[in-house]
Amino acid sequence: MSSAPSLVLSRFRSNPLWLALPAVLLLAAFFLFPMGRLFLLGVQDPQTGALTAEHYLRLTEAPVYWRILGITFRIAILTALFSVILGYPLALWLSRMDSRKQSLLALLVLLPFWTSYLVKTFAWMILLGHRGVLNTLFVEAGLIERPLGLMYNELGVIIGMVHAMMPLAVLTMLPVMNGIDRRLTLAAGTMGASRSQRFWLVYFPLSVPGAAAAGLLTFITSLGFFIVPAFLGGSGQTMLAQTIITQVQELVNWSFAAVLASLMVVAALISIWIYNRFFGLSTISGGSSSDGVRASSGILRRLGRRFLEFMAWISSPFDRFGSSIGNDDRGSAIYPVLALIFLIAPMLVVFPLAFTSASSLQFPPPGFSLRWFEQYVNSPVWISATIRSFGVALATAFCATVLGGLAALGLARSRSRWNGPLFALMLAPMVVPRIVIAVGLFYLMAQIGLVATNTGLVIGHTLLAIPYCFITIGAVLKSYDWRLNQAAETLGAGRLTILRRITLPLLRGGVIAAGLFAFVTSFDELTIAIFISGGLRTTLPKQMWDDMFLQLNPTLAAVSVVVLVIVTAILLAAQKLQK
Amino acid sequence: MTKDGILEMSRRGLLIGGAAVLATPMLARRSWASQSLVVADPGGPFTEGYRRAFYEPFTAETGITINGVARDAEPTAQFKSIVETKSYIWDVCTLTLSARLILEEEDLLEPLNLDPAKVADVMPEAVHPNMLGVDVYSAVLAYNADTLPEAPEGWAAMWDLERFPGRRCLRRNPIDTLEIALMADGVAPADLYPLDVDRAFRKLDEIKDHIDVWWTGGAQSTQLLESGEVDLIAGWNARFQAAVDNGAPVKIVWNGGLYSIEGWGIPKGNPKADLAREFVAFCAQAEMQAKYTEDLAYGPTNLRAYDFIPPERAAILPTAPQNLAVMSLASEPYWKEHRAELTERFNAWLLG
Repeated sequence: MSSAPSLVLSRFRSNPLWLALPAVLLLAAFFLFPMGRLFLLGVQDPQTGALTAEHYLRLTEAPVYWRILGITFRIAILTALFSVILGYPLALWLSRMDSRKQSLLALLVLLPFWTSYLVKTFAWMILLGHRGVLNTLFVEAGLIERPLGLMYNELGVIIGMVHAMMPLAVLTMLPVMNGIDRRLTLAAGTMGASRSQRFWLVYFPLSVPGAAAAGLLTFITSLGFFIVPAFLGGSGQTMLAQTIITQVQELVNWSFAAVLASLMVVAALISIWIYNRFFGLSTISGGSSSDGVRASSGILRRLGRRFLEFMAWISSPFDRFGSSIGNDDRGSAIYPVLALIFLIAPMLVVFPLAFTSASSLQFPPPGFSLRWFEQYVNSPVWISATIRSFGVALATAFCATVLGGLAALGLARSRSRWNGPLFALMLAPMVVPRIVIAVGLFYLMAQIGLVATNTGLVIGHTLLAIPYCFITIGAVLKSYDWRLNQAAETLGAGRLTILRRITLPLLRGGVIAAGLFAFVTSFDELTIAIFISGGLRTTLPKQMWDDMFLQLNPTLAAVSVVVLVIVTAILLAAQKLQK
Repeated sequence: MTKDGILEMSRRGLLIGGAAVLATPMLARRSWASQSLVVADPGGPFTEGYRRAFYEPFTAETGITINGVARDAEPTAQFKSIVETKSYIWDVCTLTLSARLILEEEDLLEPLNLDPAKVADVMPEAVHPNMLGVDVYSAVLAYNADTLPEAPEGWAAMWDLERFPGRRCLRRNPIDTLEIALMADGVAPADLYPLDVDRAFRKLDEIKDHIDVWWTGGAQSTQLLESGEVDLIAGWNARFQAAVDNGAPVKIVWNGGLYSIEGWGIPKGNPKADLAREFVAFCAQAEMQAKYTEDLAYGPTNLRAYDFIPPERAAILPTAPQNLAVMSLASEPYWKEHRAELTERFNAWLLG
């Protein structure tokens, strides 16, 4: 008994990959195993169980699925691109503030994140509609003659998706930017670098790992979207996740659903591989930067350098107007404030609706009333769903941060050939559409009695949250100076002491961001909740879904406001405690 | 185990034939008093309407507690998992006719053994060996009465851009949409099936560029019409009634409507199947079905329910005689066979 821990400890000393073991075990049991069973369905005859290629042959007969795959990629790439490009200046602006002001304003970025997808999407419908808020404003202001087609087309989908993904991009880039030593740009300045040069040649390259991580996260998350394209898209916007859901739920053709799910996973893996060639993705996993350098070829690096020099040259005439790192001009706040307004715009619609006197989502509301709050408070169903959601989300945040963080730490320190496969495994739950995970999980959990339990919900949500925690903490580890550990070790500190006294405090920003991602992932999760809760252990999004599937009423808005107030209070309290 | 089963069966037998033995239901009541059933309904307003119409009266009569839970919109995948893993988290679940066919094919439904006398007044389309329909919903045309110059009379209005200018909306699904196109092209409701698919797509080609929105979720269709986003829309009557109830200037055209049925089914192998069957049979009664129409704009399948419904409420229900007469039943067997292929073709057509 007493020798076991020391044995584990000595192995753990010899190979840091052991740190990833808890996460690997969880993923193996509740993700790989059910997925394997599901994908087997794609190559089996449903009646006899014999191996067959018939389901895959359907892909060659129907070109429509390849078109849908292409549309899915196009929308996901555009979403990732806009989320990073629009989010970068905002993250930059935030990173230059002192930590108190930064965490307060970061709350505004988090705000739309706490709002259910369903509610956000409906808020956009009210804002972007033909007779919506924006079109009415524009027409009355005389800017346009006829209402613009802001949604039910690709524009609507991109607006909705970028809005959903931008907070994720900002919160992924922010810890990396916070970790950049600001004295470097100052030093460059004293040596005569112009503002543009200081930014493009010194600061920007250091921030690239954060931007690359944000791009990857938003891209892969976007691949699995279905609510936004269904509600804000037009006839040309069909995404793969929608067709998978149709196969599972409407046609009950799990074999073909498995084929489409495999198609999506393979396509995502290929794109990650390509991404890796260009951006040296191994850096995200925390691998040392020399790995990243080796991954990208010399030509690419030279091209990148040229590109940055070009950007510095082209932006140099504007040095006088804009501001750059280190300065704090008032003018530079215009864009970030606009970006924040974009992020909270749907909430500006939801808040008034929560206090409407009408029984529909009419905007602007005809009168003031608290009836929807009364309905919420007096409903045991809503209250118990709220409490359950908070409990499950807190447990998920804890489990996912610990498991994902340990895995990131392990991979960062390891040079093993297992790094690649483990990296892919950690990201895998993000690539597979949630509906597929939900179906596979339900099947497994029903067999071991975890359906309709809180434990089942926490396990399911932890699976989904691990990739976010892994990448967020991994991105911070990228700029972590491992010599600090060596220094501590020579001074006689043990591994655990180093973890507690050195590594964790330095990673605090990343760990907190990871915990928040995990919390939100669970708090806003619908698909797994639908299957695992079985209608008996209802979470908040599930209750919202039930309520709005048949009739949309302002209770949804009231619930969103209550949740927002509670969460903001918790976050503010957490900030107070940290000090 | 077996002994229990026999006992339960004999009690049930007594209950059904039980007019003669008045004491028997009382006996049953006492012995079942501690029992309960988990019933999965579509949630939202359904839970409230069904609770008053079915759950509470059933508990009052038998002492069996009913726990209503909300199921997913398309519960077939979950239903399948429940039976295959034998984790009966639901004892009874609402199904559509198309879900019934899918589940029947995979042998996932328990037989209901309905007493023909008890379902004599129920529409024959709603009575199946493994499902009892309790409500009727209908795909209809609805319009904004403020913006349209005149009242449309049927589906042809959707295609008539000159007489009925305005923004148009159809469901992003081949089901109902293909039938609508054919009826607009002059096909009589009785001659719809098997669908002339090529003709339907040709007809749809005519207005493809004039459809401003393709809706996907029921709540969305309410919102689209209520907010004035669209002027003409095809969708489910109860969703449009919600817009009317909220004060929107919305009117429904029953002419050419396609109705379908929703009702109870029991997962195969459920150990509580006997209790569940009692509950299902209970829901066939006219008086009970009439009660949910106070909350829900769905039509009772027991047509005698209209004896208990005020005429002004009846006018907005799909199975009211005047409405039912101008509508036809959507063919589930046809869709069961062709749904996958037509969904694929419809999606390709939308993108093309």
